Amino acid sequence: MTLLSGILSFLVISQLTRELKGIGATDLIGTVIVVAIVRELGPLLTALVVVGRSGTAIAAELATNQVMGEVRALESMGIDPKQYLVVPRFVAALVSVFALLVLFDVVAILAGFAAARFNGLPGPRYFQIVLESLTNRDVWLTVFKALAFGAIVGVVPSYFGLAVRRASTEIPIAASRAVVAAIVGIFLCSALFVALG
Amino acid sequence: MPASPVSLPLVFESIPLARHASAPFSLDIPEHRTVAVLGDENSGVGLLGGYALGLERPPAGRALVFGTVVATLPEPARLAFRRRVGYLPASEGLLQNLSLRDNVALPLRFGSGATPRDIEGRVNVMMTALRLTGASALRPAQANEEERRRAALARAIAFDPALLILEQPFDGLTARVASELLEIARGGESAAGARRTILITGQEIPPIILRRVDQVYRLTRAGMLEPETV
Repeated sequence: MTLLSGILSFLVISQLTRELKGIGATDLIGTVIVVAIVRELGPLLTALVVVGRSGTAIAAELATNQVMGEVRALESMGIDPKQYLVVPRFVAALVSVFALLVLFDVVAILAGFAAARFNGLPGPRYFQIVLESLTNRDVWLTVFKALAFGAIVGVVPSYFGLAVRRASTEIPIAASRAVVAAIVGIFLCSALFVALG
Repeated sequence: MPASPVSLPLVFESIPLARHASAPFSLDIPEHRTVAVLGDENSGVGLLGGYALGLERPPAGRALVFGTVVATLPEPARLAFRRRVGYLPASEGLLQNLSLRDNVALPLRFGSGATPRDIEGRVNVMMTALRLTGASALRPAQANEEERRRAALARAIAFDPALLILEQPFDGLTARVASELLEIARGGESAAGARRTILITGQEIPPIILRRVDQVYRLTRAGMLEPETV
């Protein structure tokens, strides 16, 4: 995540600094950092990385629980499988997407700083531009996106994992369907945020 | 005078089990009795446990546990009701990411409201009674079949249920171990018979076990229930 965020931010800010310096519009770097990276790409890429890493694991694990008769055994013991299996994963997805998003944004801003310095923009000026562009609304929007994407990462793979019935051959199918559905859900949710925002 | 369904721990009423059954399945299991219903895979005998606990709904007829059709209860009540019944599924259903000890403790931790200290005490008793203390830290995949079956039985009787449903409990076990597990499942003796009411389902049970089973029924492919002499 750190590597992805750092490289992405460094490349974007390096290119932009060069181009915007040519037309005397370096102040726009702040807007790009805030709008493109912190508000849009940060939540989106963070959620996609977590879906790729943990969404498949959640779907495959719950599908295995189902095939091995563990879900049925939980029900027979009077334990709600959703409470025992899904809720902890849902909470973990919310927390991890949010925490990783904070990491992503911090690294992106720091990498942008390095890129700006590398291309001749003074450090204090870079931070001044970024902070001026960052509003409370951006912060809250990013937080809501992190929570919404985290919820998708927790719920969609769990649904597909528990939808498996008996055959172990259904496990990889469930995992791939879960990831595709979660990615589609994340993009649709992102589009909804843009439409409503 | 026949007992009313409410006073019977387990009643199956007119449930079509086998695909080509000529008659629906009906059976009353009285209190303190150990009853075995045997049949081949196509007889539908493996469905009885799920129907009793409301894990699946029969296409027709009903299964009553202590006079209640579990499948029709609302979800929270259904989950709470199932804690009154011990269930050992054919696949054991042990959670693979938990040790045998944690598997035994699981229903107590989630459904008993007991203090952690009381739960640990109860689990210690269960692990000792089932002779699992040496294997308590093993995961199900590391344990042998006998240890897994012992752990699954310990989990099934964790709440000390009055009714126990055992699916293929003795498959792959020696007669001595099977006999030992049945005695633990019975939970001791009362004046009326075993302390617990037990339904055993499966294809066969070892002959040595038959002596401790009150009634054995054989389910044919046509869905007929034929009593066998014990």
